[in-house]
Amino acid sequence: MHKLFARQIAKTTKPTGEVDIAALGELVIEAYTQADRDRRRTDRSIGLMIEELDQLNRGLEQLVEERTTALRERENELQEQNLRFNAALQNMSQALLLFDGAHKLSICNQRYIEMYGLSTEVVKPGCTFRTLLEHRKERGNFPDDVEQYLTNHRAAMARGQIYSRIVELSDGRTIVVVNHPMATGGWVSTHEDITERRRAEKQIAHMARHDALTNLANRVQFQERLAQALAEIPRGERLAVLYLGLDQFKSVNDTLGHNMGDELLKIVAGRLRNTVRDIDTVARLAGDEFAIIQVNLERPTDTANLARRIGEAIRAPVDLAGQTIVTDASIGIAIAPADGTATSDIMKNADMALHGAKAEGRGSYRFFEPEMDARMKRRRELEQALRRALAVGEFELHFQPIVNVADNHITSCEALIRWNHPERGMIPPAEFIPIAEEIGLIVQLGEWVLRTACADAVHWPDDTKVAVNLSPIQVMNKSLVPMVVSALAATGLPATRLDIEITESVLMQNTDTTINALHQLRELGVSISMDDFGTGYSSLSCLHKFPFDKIKIDRSFISGLPESADSIAIVRAVAGLAKNLNMITTAEGVETQQQLDQIRMLGCTEMQGYLFSRPCRAEDLLKLFPSRYEMRALSA
Amino acid sequence: MRIDELSWSETKGWSRHNASVVRNGHAHNGDARKTDLVLYFGAREPLANGMRYQELRAMFPDAHVVGCSTGGQIHNDDISDNEISVAALSFEATEIRLSREPAHAPEQSRKCGEAIGKTLAASDLAGIFVLSDGLNVNGSELVAGIMSVVGQSVPVTGGLAGDGAQFKETLVGADCVPRNHLVAAVGFYGPAIRIGHGSAGGWDEFGPRRSITRSSGHVLHELDGSPALDLYERYLGEEEVKGLPGSALLFPLRIYDPQRPKHDLVRTVLAVDRDARSMTFAGDMPAGWVAQLMRGNFDRLAAGAADAARQASRTIAKNFEGDGLAVLVSCIGRRLLMGQHTTGEVEAVGAEFGPRMTRLGFYSYGEISPHAVSGVCELHNQTMTVTAITEAIG
Repeated sequence: MHKLFARQIAKTTKPTGEVDIAALGELVIEAYTQADRDRRRTDRSIGLMIEELDQLNRGLEQLVEERTTALRERENELQEQNLRFNAALQNMSQALLLFDGAHKLSICNQRYIEMYGLSTEVVKPGCTFRTLLEHRKERGNFPDDVEQYLTNHRAAMARGQIYSRIVELSDGRTIVVVNHPMATGGWVSTHEDITERRRAEKQIAHMARHDALTNLANRVQFQERLAQALAEIPRGERLAVLYLGLDQFKSVNDTLGHNMGDELLKIVAGRLRNTVRDIDTVARLAGDEFAIIQVNLERPTDTANLARRIGEAIRAPVDLAGQTIVTDASIGIAIAPADGTATSDIMKNADMALHGAKAEGRGSYRFFEPEMDARMKRRRELEQALRRALAVGEFELHFQPIVNVADNHITSCEALIRWNHPERGMIPPAEFIPIAEEIGLIVQLGEWVLRTACADAVHWPDDTKVAVNLSPIQVMNKSLVPMVVSALAATGLPATRLDIEITESVLMQNTDTTINALHQLRELGVSISMDDFGTGYSSLSCLHKFPFDKIKIDRSFISGLPESADSIAIVRAVAGLAKNLNMITTAEGVETQQQLDQIRMLGCTEMQGYLFSRPCRAEDLLKLFPSRYEMRALSA
Repeated sequence: MRIDELSWSETKGWSRHNASVVRNGHAHNGDARKTDLVLYFGAREPLANGMRYQELRAMFPDAHVVGCSTGGQIHNDDISDNEISVAALSFEATEIRLSREPAHAPEQSRKCGEAIGKTLAASDLAGIFVLSDGLNVNGSELVAGIMSVVGQSVPVTGGLAGDGAQFKETLVGADCVPRNHLVAAVGFYGPAIRIGHGSAGGWDEFGPRRSITRSSGHVLHELDGSPALDLYERYLGEEEVKGLPGSALLFPLRIYDPQRPKHDLVRTVLAVDRDARSMTFAGDMPAGWVAQLMRGNFDRLAAGAADAARQASRTIAKNFEGDGLAVLVSCIGRRLLMGQHTTGEVEAVGAEFGPRMTRLGFYSYGEISPHAVSGVCELHNQTMTVTAITEAIG
């Protein structure tokens, strides 16, 4: 019997032994109902559980799928990364090695094998550091001692220090090796061939200190060497600095072109080098400027001898593209310590001496003298004073009349500039005009002269011209014609009353431009005179170049009169020539009656000189003109 | 130790059962020893008016009278719903001490436990038997509170009072008329007493393991991010949903700390909040723990009860003097599931102990016993726990 049913019967059996059938029925029905509920519940829960587990399973499957995909992607990514890494490793210009904590090779790129010409049989993953070094030693590509190197390397790696060294290989290559320790106890080592880089660096360093054209020392190196030599100069010894400038180098450049000019500089550089000793320094400072440091001077004459030898070397003819050129050099010399012990002083003094030599003429050499310095100072002061003078009106014009030898009538007056210096008094033009030309003040100064002269001339008799000197620089200036027009317009002086005096040297330079300008002035009515005729080299050819209105015969010929036969001949010839060319002739510097008589006899039409009048101020000049009344009487 | 067994029913009133009662005629008369402890378990209805307590007090004026309302009483092989089952214990050499503490709210459970521990703590304390309000106490906290004072070496057993399948009110009496919001604890002292204990469920886990994603104390809000009540309602189906929270007992939850999967606990539902979609369990539901549904098979549940009895019988004295008492505290959930088959588990316990051990007990809202693996006293649910009380000879 079922245990439960037995229990149900027992529970429903009365004390009399009789079973309460109704009660038993209820229990049985309840048990069935309960069993049914339990079954339904079980069914339901099992169903739900299956559903849940199925859902969970699907979730897991999806998760597995997703993770598998992710893993595959990661794997592909890794593979690609690996490829990229490998490509980078094999294509890098540096050699790269990776060692593990056991000092065994993990990675090595092809570049390393190639760099040292190694065998891949030996150099492969797993090979020890020692084996690798020994293999390199065997191939002659490891200059150090293997044992020593291993000891040092281990010590550096243990300290965790990055260390690098530069290895010079026996074949001339330079390799820089850098070792980076890693946390694993291993290290990464890179090797880079820096041979080319070093060469380039050396080249750059060389260029910084050498002149590219001649390969001589440049100014930078020259100054360094000089400073060094000055610092090391032993007591009682001397050194010399020679500054050298080629004469007329500009004209070589202009006529033969820059390439030929460069060739010439190279040849000169070579000759200079050959002339000095090895312990001396030759440098090119700029353009045609060279400098030499002569050390260990033994005899006082050493430097002069060197300067002479240089002169001889430079003067030797040069063959440039079929043309034979002869050049020469001026040399300025400064001696240390006598002329200074500072680099800048010595260089400045040598330069000053060079100016002195140039001023003296071609092919000479000059030692620095303290007076040069003083002159230079004076000159600089003069420059400054000149600029100031124009601004504050320290210049004034004096006039010297030119008179017709036939009737003593004043035909024109030459304007002559004077500088009334507040301290030094009157300074002659010969002293300041060259400086004004050099510093470019001449154009302004010339304009002032022209305007002032025209303004003064307005007050003179109508038939009296004013003569104004123009410097070559003024004539070459493009604004010459407008300047003259403007001066005439401003003062109201008729162009026919202006006479421009130029010297031969004006025609020597930039001829076309100059002659055009002169023609334009002529067309305005201005007359043009040739001044100081006979002092230049090609006076006659000048007459051919431009139809001057007047020739002024230089005072040097007149001063020879009346005795010098040569002077007489020249004056007569010039006067004759002028007459034929329809030009007026003025004799300059006539001081005596005899001279006047003679020039009149020789055919000169005008005279200028102390005999008639010294140059005088404008107000004094007016007294020389006859009064209006007299003028009228004269003309009557 | 001597045991008198009594029962009360509406129809019969009080009646005595065992040979000793027959032998001694009356509990009072003739016997030199007086009764030390009276344990009684009964349905809430007959206990609520206090009459039965007064009658017991009159019968055993010197004894501590301790009992509670239940979800069915066990008396040997029988399970009854409307009766009151009583065991009156007289000890040869064991002292008894009773502690009684009010339990106003679940949050005070630990303090309540600590107070009990302080009252009962003594160097010769051999064991504590606890009966607690079944609806207003967090059993886990209560046990933890007691243990924090008396230490882990003292076995704490017992259970939470029941209220059938109604979950309305539970009563506990401790030398007083049974009432709610009360915890009673009996301490056993002396070298003679032997207290054995066993606890086992016999439930089968089923379905996926879930994670407790939101909880507070013993209120479970979410499993795997979804409301816990939704899961239960799905599993119960329409028919059983009406029976909530009682019907939720059909699917207890096995929970464990993922770090210690062997120390699993079974939790049963005390109440549901249909608005909040949460469920209140008889013990803590720590967030982050793993939870898995369980279901019962009659035979395996009965085998679980037998297992609990085996564990308890290991500790009882081999040749104990007089009678022995096995107090069975089994979960109301087991009874609801097994229905008429419930008797099977009670019989299984009886078969393990043999005729000398009187079995008295009740269906509870929570069982207290040391954990079978860890030995640490815990609140259990859905288990059969057995406390075996004997005295050693000499």
